[in-house]
Amino acid sequence: MSKKITYRKRRELWGYGFISLWLVGTVVFFLIPLLQSLWWSFNDVEIDTGKSITKWVGLGNYSYAVNTDEKYLVYLKDTLIETLWKTPLILIFSLFTAVILNQKFKGRTLARAVFFLPVIIATGPVYEIISGDIDRTGNIGAGQFSTLFSTDLIGELLQFLGIYGISDDMNGMISQIADNIFGIVWSSGIQILLFLGALQNIPESVRESAILEGADGWVYFWKITFPYVTPFILANLIFTVIDTFTNPMNAVMKKIISMRSDFKFGEASAMAWIYFGIILASVSLATAIIKKSSYYDNK
Amino acid sequence: MTRKKELLWSVFRFVILTSLGFVIIYPLIYMVSCAFRDKADMTDPTVMWIPHRLTLSVIRETITAMDFWNTLKNTVLLNIGCSLVQVCSCAVTGYGFARFEFRGKNILFGIVVMMILVPPQIISMPLYSLFRHFGFGDFSLNLINNMLTMYLPAITGNGIKSGLMILIFRQFFAGLPRELEDAAYIDGCSPFRTFVQVIVPNALPAFLTVFLFSVVLYWNDYYVSSTFFTNNQTVALMLKNLDTELKINLFDSASVDIDPREQIVWKEAGCLLSITPMLIMYIFLQKHFTEGIERSGITG
Repeated sequence: MSKKITYRKRRELWGYGFISLWLVGTVVFFLIPLLQSLWWSFNDVEIDTGKSITKWVGLGNYSYAVNTDEKYLVYLKDTLIETLWKTPLILIFSLFTAVILNQKFKGRTLARAVFFLPVIIATGPVYEIISGDIDRTGNIGAGQFSTLFSTDLIGELLQFLGIYGISDDMNGMISQIADNIFGIVWSSGIQILLFLGALQNIPESVRESAILEGADGWVYFWKITFPYVTPFILANLIFTVIDTFTNPMNAVMKKIISMRSDFKFGEASAMAWIYFGIILASVSLATAIIKKSSYYDNK
Repeated sequence: MTRKKELLWSVFRFVILTSLGFVIIYPLIYMVSCAFRDKADMTDPTVMWIPHRLTLSVIRETITAMDFWNTLKNTVLLNIGCSLVQVCSCAVTGYGFARFEFRGKNILFGIVVMMILVPPQIISMPLYSLFRHFGFGDFSLNLINNMLTMYLPAITGNGIKSGLMILIFRQFFAGLPRELEDAAYIDGCSPFRTFVQVIVPNALPAFLTVFLFSVVLYWNDYYVSSTFFTNNQTVALMLKNLDTELKINLFDSASVDIDPREQIVWKEAGCLLSITPMLIMYIFLQKHFTEGIERSGITG
């Protein structure tokens, strides 16, 4: 039997071949569990020696999460608000740091090594302990550390600069930022890495011609650097949002996990799905906005 | 730029980098300082950085409480192994998406993006019941506490953050010149052999980057492993439950009260123990992080 398969067809089969292992795994370890969890969110679930017995309750679990549970909405709101103001700060901070780390100066390698250090630590329980210790212990070292970035310092700086009469809201916001410097610096490792990579991709010729035209640092940043990194702002934005949202240490995630330990699987699934819906909506919104205003190099 | 401006800028840069760098280094200094001091130093107001009562006993006690060497062996077995197979499976998948046209490719790639977006917490319970009764019909195995619960998803490109890794590989392979493969095809090489013999050697930086991320993520993971393991088999889990382990193994009672301030010495010692292997790896490979990002493909 010599059925001739076209080159195109053969390539297609090879393509399936390359992804087949992943496809099998995805069906078994991703798609089926995903659908099952969606199914659970509409059911009353009881687990008997690991096997689940379900009873259809419609939107009951969703209504429980939104209406009955006292904590869920509060946690949800807190997490959303925190993500909303922390994400832009992380992006600005990491772009700023990447620009500095991309310059040539003595000790650059050491500085980079220090700023990437959070990448290997911040995803684990170690981070939870060290960030908690600095907040809670109240020992002298920690106290001194927090005064270094304290509200007073910022307040005094503003006074010194002659900026009076800022509203209390604004003051509160600034102090919150100051208190959160630790969290921001520690969650920016990957973002700095990505931005630095983007900066290194700016062709030398572009830099030379800009300098030849007399662009100073400020103009160079806005006319050259910024347009080149906008696509990476999107990548970093999505990464940051997902990272904050799916962090097992955030309040909503803790809530979902604790519901699960109480064997309320249906309710826990409903909570997880509401949360996931919000993640999906905000990531697509952000993508749409940035895609419209971003610059792509025509390669 | 004038010289004066340049000087001013480098002073500014130095101040900014040192103060922000301090935020990162501070907890590590504190960790070392705590891990080698006696617990009495925690309540001594004259002690800030340099302990008055230097001791190795805290480290020793923490090693006992965490059963450190056994846990380390387990973690390496689980962590390095899973990372290696995950890198391979994600690379093969990423290559399939980067170089071949097939029906349904866009939908399938959409699933990869979904894998990035879906929090592991959504699918962890169904996964638990899947592994609790793994098999078909009447034949089923209980895989809970078995390393296969981590290995099976890793082998099939569904491990921790594998969606992201497939994406990185796809971007990287798509950026390689097609001529690399064409030459091999003309010589009669099959696509798979071409991948192994021509593409992989050209993609080593991408492999190293993904492997590093993979190792770090598996090392630090406690959520996924706490779903599938009932005992504390990995360093991250041990550290997460250090309070209980300390009480049981050090004070022989689960209900003893330790002063939370004094407890910090063991906690920081535990942190120090669990980041040391990663730190050593980082010190050896930091050049790759700090200099070679542009070649690694994560910037696509």
